[in-house]
Amino acid sequence: MFNKEKFKQNAPAIPVLIWVGFLVGLPLVFVIILSFLTRDDLGNVVIKFTLSNYKKIFDPTYLKVFFNSFLLATLTGLITLIIGYPVAYFTANLSPKKRSLSIGLIMLPFWISSLLRTYGWIILLGNTGIINNILTKLNIIQSPFNMMYKFSTTLIGTAYMLIPFMIIAIYNSVDKLDKSLLEASYDLGASKRQTFLNITLPLTLPGIAGGFTLVFIPSLGLFFISDLLGGGMTLFLGNVINSQVTKGRNKPLAAAFSIGMIILVLIILYLYGKLTKDKKGEGLF
Amino acid sequence: MNKTSNRFRTFYLSLFFVILYIPVLGVVLYSFNKSPSTASWTGFTLDWYRDLFNDKVIIESFKISIKVALLTSILSAILGTTTAIISTYVTSKMENVIRGVMILPLLVPEVALGVSLLLFFSTLNLPFGILTLVLSHSLFCMPYVYLMVLLRLKEIDISIIESAKDLGATRWQVIKTILLPLVTPSIITSSLLALAMSLDDVVISTYMSGPTSTTLPVHIFSMMRVGVTPKINALSTLILVGTFFIVGLSQLLNKKSNQ
Repeated sequence: MFNKEKFKQNAPAIPVLIWVGFLVGLPLVFVIILSFLTRDDLGNVVIKFTLSNYKKIFDPTYLKVFFNSFLLATLTGLITLIIGYPVAYFTANLSPKKRSLSIGLIMLPFWISSLLRTYGWIILLGNTGIINNILTKLNIIQSPFNMMYKFSTTLIGTAYMLIPFMIIAIYNSVDKLDKSLLEASYDLGASKRQTFLNITLPLTLPGIAGGFTLVFIPSLGLFFISDLLGGGMTLFLGNVINSQVTKGRNKPLAAAFSIGMIILVLIILYLYGKLTKDKKGEGLF
Repeated sequence: MNKTSNRFRTFYLSLFFVILYIPVLGVVLYSFNKSPSTASWTGFTLDWYRDLFNDKVIIESFKISIKVALLTSILSAILGTTTAIISTYVTSKMENVIRGVMILPLLVPEVALGVSLLLFFSTLNLPFGILTLVLSHSLFCMPYVYLMVLLRLKEIDISIIESAKDLGATRWQVIKTILLPLVTPSIITSSLLALAMSLDDVVISTYMSGPTSTTLPVHIFSMMRVGVTPKINALSTLILVGTFFIVGLSQLLNKKSNQ
């Protein structure tokens, strides 16, 4: 039923929806259409329906790329969780003054250029980098230890880049935790370990799920980290899309891969929604 | 909390922060190294900074980055604030729709967003350059302004607005004399954040830059791909100092408006 009163109330929202719809919705529809088209030998898009772009995803070479990206994103989520959870938990238990200092230090990297932070790892891990210099000077190793251009180098860089998101998400849920529940648990004779496993951990699960989602999504697309630290030795989705658009001139293929990437994101968002369904007011943002 | 666990807590946090900042400090330190290689420290120099100011390409791309960042932060401040205020007037169902639509650009991975905008704009025959950069940057900056302003709007005491209405204030008067002044600190903070994010963006700018309008991060990225040179360290250090200046400024403005 069309409700005139409600329409009048909602009318101011229309320009907003059109603006974002025009800049996000339309391009996405455009990419979906393009992913079903072909290209000629010169790289021009030809309007001819095909499914071959999607079939290519299941080609072993490209399937590996999807797998690499999925693995990178999942491992980044796990590593940032394992390292970040204690940081968030300890920070929430600090005195107010120390707590704001700690939060400030966690948030500050958001303001530091992401290229600089990636470059910092080259300075640190490179063959002539700081770590190799120190180890050689101390005579622990004779020749430089090769740490660059590996899957793990990309993993370190990505986890380093995104860990503040994880910590802040967990911190917010630890901070909201009802402290009387913990006291009640201790009063009933539960040990620290039991209290943590039975109360703190389940109650901070929405924060963990939120942090995981916030880390997982961007880690799929940060191609500059794998470019600089991974040296293109392991191929990730972001790199393939980027090179297909800028060098390979196969735009339909890049479009199909972008859609594949977005579907990965949707799966994660769906899982996140399922996991936090019965906890109201724990929105991702 | 007993003593040992307290000590462990301090140790863990300190270790974490040391690792968090070592890569950044490493970059800053080696920007003053005389040797062009990080292999050895051969003495203090400011030569790399001098090199920087003689590099025309860097100066040009810096100018473009600043232009884009300023325009982006103004555009996203206007759009984000307007959207946040509008969303408090519509039905709760519509409010959820707006929230979903505003968060959408943050949920699409940057590469996918960048590629889709590239394909879209090139079909529309828009010239790639400052226009496309500002449009695309405001897309991922606007949501932050919207969210931060909305957060502040929700904290406002409804009774103030009710009494203003009782005294005969129109909707526009309420917005102009009550809402806007109250959310100004949030607008300032979030538009400075937008400024910093626009200045830092690599992924989307890679696709949006025109042949004569490369932004600084895109240029730095191409420099980094070629190899390590202290010039990059010097440039990164200057950017770091610049951003901290912006952060400091926003903190200062916030403190002032809170008093």
